[in-house]
Amino acid sequence: MSSHAATIDHHHDPTTSTGIPNKKLLMWAFLASDCMFFGTLISTHLIYRLHPPAGGLDPKAVFSPELTSFSTFILLMSSLMMALAVTAIQKGNVKSCRWSLLTTIFFGMIFLGCQVYEFQHFVYDKKMTLSNSLLGTTFYTLTGTHGCHVAIGVLWLVLMYVRSFKPGTGSAQRTWFSAQILHAATLIVLLLLVLKVTLGLVHALQVEPGFGAAMTSFLKHEFLGIAGMMLALWGCVWFARPRGPVQFGVANAIDVESMGLYWHFVDIVWIVIFTAVYLLEYL
Amino acid sequence: MSSPSHSSAAVGHDHGHDESKFQIYVQIAMLLAVITGVEIVAVYLPFAKWIIVTSLVVLSAVKFLFVIFYFMHLRWDKPFCTILFFIGLVIAGATAWALIALFQAEASLPLPT
Repeated sequence: MSSHAATIDHHHDPTTSTGIPNKKLLMWAFLASDCMFFGTLISTHLIYRLHPPAGGLDPKAVFSPELTSFSTFILLMSSLMMALAVTAIQKGNVKSCRWSLLTTIFFGMIFLGCQVYEFQHFVYDKKMTLSNSLLGTTFYTLTGTHGCHVAIGVLWLVLMYVRSFKPGTGSAQRTWFSAQILHAATLIVLLLLVLKVTLGLVHALQVEPGFGAAMTSFLKHEFLGIAGMMLALWGCVWFARPRGPVQFGVANAIDVESMGLYWHFVDIVWIVIFTAVYLLEYL
Repeated sequence: MSSPSHSSAAVGHDHGHDESKFQIYVQIAMLLAVITGVEIVAVYLPFAKWIIVTSLVVLSAVKFLFVIFYFMHLRWDKPFCTILFFIGLVIAGATAWALIALFQAEASLPLPT
């Protein structure tokens, strides 16, 4: 009996008629509908690739398999970290859950950074815009929609991470909401600045002739960004300092699990996009 | 006396279960990374196009199924979740197949300009 009481069954909920927690059921229903949404976008892209207009762009000359393979690997690793975050909170290990969430956010931002870089490269160097070719139209619509899903996932992860600091008791509870809005805002600013500074570094390394010249140009252009990044990092560390017991634990496992389902779905959509949109072009 | 020992045995069992789940997740992640590597190499192999396309589709399906059944817990969840998700997946797949088949019909081909 004691072992039964000590073990919480995270997969079956006796309080609902289906035996499945409502939040989880809602998420599965949403993901089923999102399958149809992405199904139409992927098939539209494939149809126009099977019947390309004369004089259109050659995807082989546009796409970069190395970058896409790297972002695919990153997204797979983010899925692993998300699964570990769910397992950690199911055990009541808040600290481990927070670190796993932060790592997932980090990987998600790397993926978004790769996508921003890829889009910028395609538009400015390869001259493929949303409106100048059918390939550009279907490609940007499909991968852009997926990117929006990743960005929403990162935002959700940030909010869940901040939520894990909700104080259990005491006067801090009254000011928690406003303090955590600031915490979330600081973390989002940090992530955006890291993205901007990293892209600035990559740009400088590509444009400038030598490493020294690249670093000089990078520091000249990104000095304010680096300073802001350091300030935001300090703010995040300050907000995350230990402040006693928190109202976040095993009871919130279903929230983290629902978010995890969304994140894994974004990963499986990319698995299909990676093969259908990128790899098949190289045959 | 028996209660704490029973309880600690249960905790030990849970700990073992969590350990095995952690190992399963890491092993699956490594497997997915290896499959991704194989996919990238496969497109450059000098085999017939249909063999490579079939291989890519099968490998993607394997990755897809591993993620939904292990990372998304469908293996341990009630079958209703699997049914619900597969309803959407089957409709999406059928719509994609129907659209591609429709556009392959001669009447649907773009007119020469």
